[in-house]
Parts: sequence; C-alpha cells; structure tokens
Amino acid sequence: MRWTLALVILLGAAVSAQRSSVYDSERQVRLEGAVTRVEWVNPRAFLFIDVRDASGVVANWAVEFGNPIELERNKWTRQSVRIGDLVTVEGVPARGPARQALARSIVHKATGKRLFESSTARPAVARTAPAPRWPDGQLRLGPSPGQKGYWAGGGARNLFDSTAKDIRMNDEGLLQNLADADRVAPMQAWAKAIYLHRQRTLLKDDPIGACMPPGGPRQFQMPNGVQFIEQRELGRVLVLIGGGNRNWRVIYTDGRAQGQAAEVVLTYYGSSVGRWEKDTLIVDSIGYNERFWFTNGGLPHTEALHLTERFSRPDLNTLRYDVTVDDPRTYTRPWTGGWTLQWVAGEDIEEYFCEEGKTP
Amino acid sequence: MRKAGACLIGAIVALAALAAAQEGHPLTGTWSGDWGPGAAQRTHITMVMAWDGKTVSGTINPGPDQVPVSAIALDVTNWTVRFDADAKSASGPVRISAEGRLDDIASAHRTITGTWRQGTAKGDFKLTRD
Repeated sequence: MRWTLALVILLGAAVSAQRSSVYDSERQVRLEGAVTRVEWVNPRAFLFIDVRDASGVVANWAVEFGNPIELERNKWTRQSVRIGDLVTVEGVPARGPARQALARSIVHKATGKRLFESSTARPAVARTAPAPRWPDGQLRLGPSPGQKGYWAGGGARNLFDSTAKDIRMNDEGLLQNLADADRVAPMQAWAKAIYLHRQRTLLKDDPIGACMPPGGPRQFQMPNGVQFIEQRELGRVLVLIGGGNRNWRVIYTDGRAQGQAAEVVLTYYGSSVGRWEKDTLIVDSIGYNERFWFTNGGLPHTEALHLTERFSRPDLNTLRYDVTVDDPRTYTRPWTGGWTLQWVAGEDIEEYFCEEGKTP
Repeated sequence: MRKAGACLIGAIVALAALAAAQEGHPLTGTWSGDWGPGAAQRTHITMVMAWDGKTVSGTINPGPDQVPVSAIALDVTNWTVRFDADAKSASGPVRISAEGRLDDIASAHRTITGTWRQGTAKGDFKLTRD
C-alpha cells in the first residue's frame, strides 16, 4: 500500500479555526496514514498518524481536530478511531517546520466513513421564551430553578467602537483590512502602533497563548462560554469563565462603593461592583493589570482601564453585552461596543484547562 | 526540608510572575543596563518610566542621587526613543541627551539600545526592561 502526502498551495483560502498564529490558512495539506496515537485532551483533541512521503520516508504528524466536548456532542467517541486505522486527513498545516495540521475532515480509509468535519455552525437556538425572573421580579442571568444552562456563542463577538460600521474581522479579531484599524477604537498613536504590530504578527504574542486569563470583555468572547451564579444572599454574582483555566470573577451587588483606583490591587479580572437598573445589570470595573489583552485582536490597555459593562436579557435565549471602554492613557475618548450571547439550555460549561491545549 | 521546598516553589512562582508580560505602554516600567564611552568602561544604570496618557516621565537611578529625565519622546513610526536629562555637577547642571531604538516590543524584557552625548563626551547605552 502506498501512502501519500500531498501539499497543495491554495492562495486566499479561508480557515475558520481560531489559530491563525499557529496554522497557515493560505495552505492546505492532505495526509494519509495509520493512526499511532489519540490524545483526547480538552480543549483540543489530537490524533497522530505516520505519513510516508513520495521518497518513502515516514514522519509522524500531529493532527488537531477539535474540542472533545463538541466532538462528543457530535457522537464522536474515543473509540471512533483505533490505533492502526488508516485515515485520510484534509486540513491546514502549521506554520514553520512542525509536522502538525488542523483537520477540516478526517475520513476512515477502509470504510469511507467521514469521522470528522469542522463546522462553524453555532448551537441550535432553543425555543424562545421570556427571560426567567426571581420571585421579586428581578431578571435572572442564570437558569430558572431546576434548570441549567450557560451563555456561549451566537454570532460575531468582536469588540470595536459601535459608531464604526462594516469592520470585518475574523473570530480571533484579525482585521480583514488593516486600514480599518483607526475605526476599531479611538486609539492614541502608541496604542495604534502596538495594535497594528499585533495584527501584522497574527497575534502570535497573545498572552492567552501562554494560558493567561481572559480579563475584561474577552471573558465573553471565549468559545467555551460563561455561566452566571447569582448569590443574592451574599450580594454578589459569580461569573464562571469556560475559556479560562476554570477562572471565575466576582461582581459585588451589595451596594458597596468602588475602590479607589490607586488602592485597588491590580488583577486580571479587576474590581467589579454592579447594580440593577430595571432589567440591566450595570457593572463598574477598575483595577486591571497590564498583563493580558482585554479583547481578541490585541487592543491594548493600561492600568487606567475603566470598564462599564451592561448586561440585559431581552428573552430566554439572548444575553446582550455592551461595554464602555474608558482608558485615557490608551484611547482619545471613551467608546462602546458589544454583542449578544446565546443561551445553551440544559448544559453546564465544561471542564477546560488551557495548559492541556498544547500539542501533546 | 518541606520548608525549603515551599520556599523554592515560592521563588519559582515569584520568578514566573516577574516573567509575565507587561502589555501597556511600551516604555512603562523599570529598565536597567549600562552606559559608557566604550566597551571597557561601563556604568550601571537604572531608569524608571511611566506614562500618564500625555507624557512619559522618567527618573535615572532613583534614590538619593537620582536624576530626573526632563523629556522623553517615543516615535512609534520607527520605535525610536529620545531622552534629555540634567545631571548635577560641580559646575552646575549638565545636559545629557540620548537616542535609542526600542526592540522586541512584544517582550516584557524589551530593550532600548542607542547612543548618548554629554557635552563633548559621547558613548552608547543599552537598557533592558526588568
């Protein structure tokens, strides 16, 4: 049996994966070989295959093929492919010399069964209904009693000044046209230079790649979603962040005053106090350190970052998130952006450890 | 033994924290390095810079003999930095001017490398962000 490796250059090909700094979406790779190992690790599952090239040399390739939790939902199990199975993988190769690829499809060679196909489809929307409320009528951000659920994707979740129109960027926040940088946010000159540097280098220095926490609005951009735990008796809301390292954030709703910026210990998630105004939770946050990117795409910030977030739930399935960014050391004026998240009914956010996402 | 292990872990954690990137204004922070007229004659230097949204302020060798930096300018089109400082001398203040290039801006330990001039004296310097 002759196994082959074909490398096809496809200029302009798009890739939906959120790994632009790792994978080269301008190329495509087709691999055939026997499976030697499967690493079923959240957030990224890998299988390894021995691939023989045209000269007969065998090399072991690592093939990333998705999030195990989403794969399980699509009926993939650890038994779907066995050691020794021959598979055909089509996907996107890694940048540089690494023998690694991001699969778009995996086909079982003997049966022709398609084992995996990447999809950008969002979770199905549950039947719409009014947003749940507490007995006193206040809106709930979490599930009704006896239910469970969390907030995840539901459309584009990129942060840019809402006065700007038609800014096209991918799920990672990479601009389709760098000339749009001026409209993304009213950046000072230094901030724009840093932002453009990050964009031009395909976000390769993103701290999240080193598993740093997704502070600020970015916690609501993470693919694994968020969950609100409303502890009214304690006067606080916990935000469980599916995309961090089992991170959480505390929003105090007990009426306490916000701390003075100079006295607050600087952290990734800041110091947050919230209050309800009718059906909107308004959260004021300061005290951020400078060790993270507060949104995908690499918009910079300083310790002066002050966020005002607004959470509302117009119906059971929709969470509206708006945030006003005020950082006079980075931006020339305050600006506002936002997006919606979608309710994933009947499920909790899943276990996720960023450190396990490295190539095994 | 256990205590020593805990101290070691603490030290590793502290070092890891120090190694974390600083993603704000590229000049903000404490920088250290050396300057001199040539390779054979070097003097240690510490420089602390801060950005308030409009200007970058700085201090050379903070402490009893510190020298305030009177002007710092960053040109983001080519990542060059210019400094002016007035050091004390027996005959009065002496203007020191320096110009350097900011490199490796994505790193917490980015560098500024360049040249300085003090009257007729001149030389080079290198600073690395701590």
